[in-house]
Amino acid sequence: MEDKELLEKFARPESRNMAFNQLVRKYQEKVYWHIRKMVIDHDDADDLTQEVFVKVWKNLDNFRQDAQLYTWIYRIATNECLSFLSSKKRKFFLPLNDVTAELMEKVESSPELAGDEVQKKLQKAILRLPEKQRLVFNMKYFDELKYEEMSEILGTSVGALKASYHIAVKKIEEFLKQD
Amino acid sequence: MMKKDFKLSDIPKRNPYQVPEGYFDRLPMQVMERTSAREQAGWLPNLWQPLRLAMAPLLLLLLVFVGVYYYSAFTEQDKVLVNLAAVPDTEIMNYLSTYATLETTDFAELNTLREQELPAEVLNISAQTAEEELEYYHLNTLDY
Repeated sequence: MEDKELLEKFARPESRNMAFNQLVRKYQEKVYWHIRKMVIDHDDADDLTQEVFVKVWKNLDNFRQDAQLYTWIYRIATNECLSFLSSKKRKFFLPLNDVTAELMEKVESSPELAGDEVQKKLQKAILRLPEKQRLVFNMKYFDELKYEEMSEILGTSVGALKASYHIAVKKIEEFLKQD
Repeated sequence: MMKKDFKLSDIPKRNPYQVPEGYFDRLPMQVMERTSAREQAGWLPNLWQPLRLAMAPLLLLLLVFVGVYYYSAFTEQDKVLVNLAAVPDTEIMNYLSTYATLETTDFAELNTLREQELPAEVLNISAQTAEEELEYYHLNTLDY
């Protein structure tokens, strides 16, 4: 179902729940994987994904259709990720490096990465990037978003995003050479 | 060990993480449960957030006002009790004889009293007996 049709159905009380259910089915995987790559842990990603869709439900009536629904949902997911990581730092009075170390430990002990040393090293190299650069890298490299879409989601210019991605790739290649 | 001229494009692009089996089949239902629980949570969470923020200090102010009002009311009551208890009997007698003047309504009541059959000992009471009676009732220990 097209986004426009979904929104029209969501606006009508009799088809609201059905339309929202379809919206969740349509975007859940993209939202989940975007979050999961940032927070690594499945339980955290699950909780944040549900929270993102609850916020979508609450605010969908206010959604202005001059933006794409997909980029709007992506922006909510991105903000949730950044808030989660910030609250983690505040909650445990951790410096950034300790949160990164915690995420690296999760990668190291992840059964999904057991036996795949190259992927493990790549994931750990990505985690060494600053949070916002990591977001840019994930969105371009894994999600293959266009710079224009990323610009809409992150509120950053296309030029700055291109530069950020280029630097991120160089850093990752450097990290991998060092290991 | 990685090669020295390593490029990111050398690594096959794949998602290394997994989800529990059937996770994406269950997720929409879990989300719907959370949204319906929020809908049923009542009117307060649905209130516009700035309104809720504005209501909070008003409620606090109201609570403080009510608290201060009741506290001062009780304190005043205590003061009255303490002050009356501290007044000596002689001063009460002086007050009654000086300021407690009779008014028209008292005379009206007197007419009705006249019609009643009062015991002779009450009507013909002497000043000394009256004072003794007052002493008997121990004005100092009376509660008002």
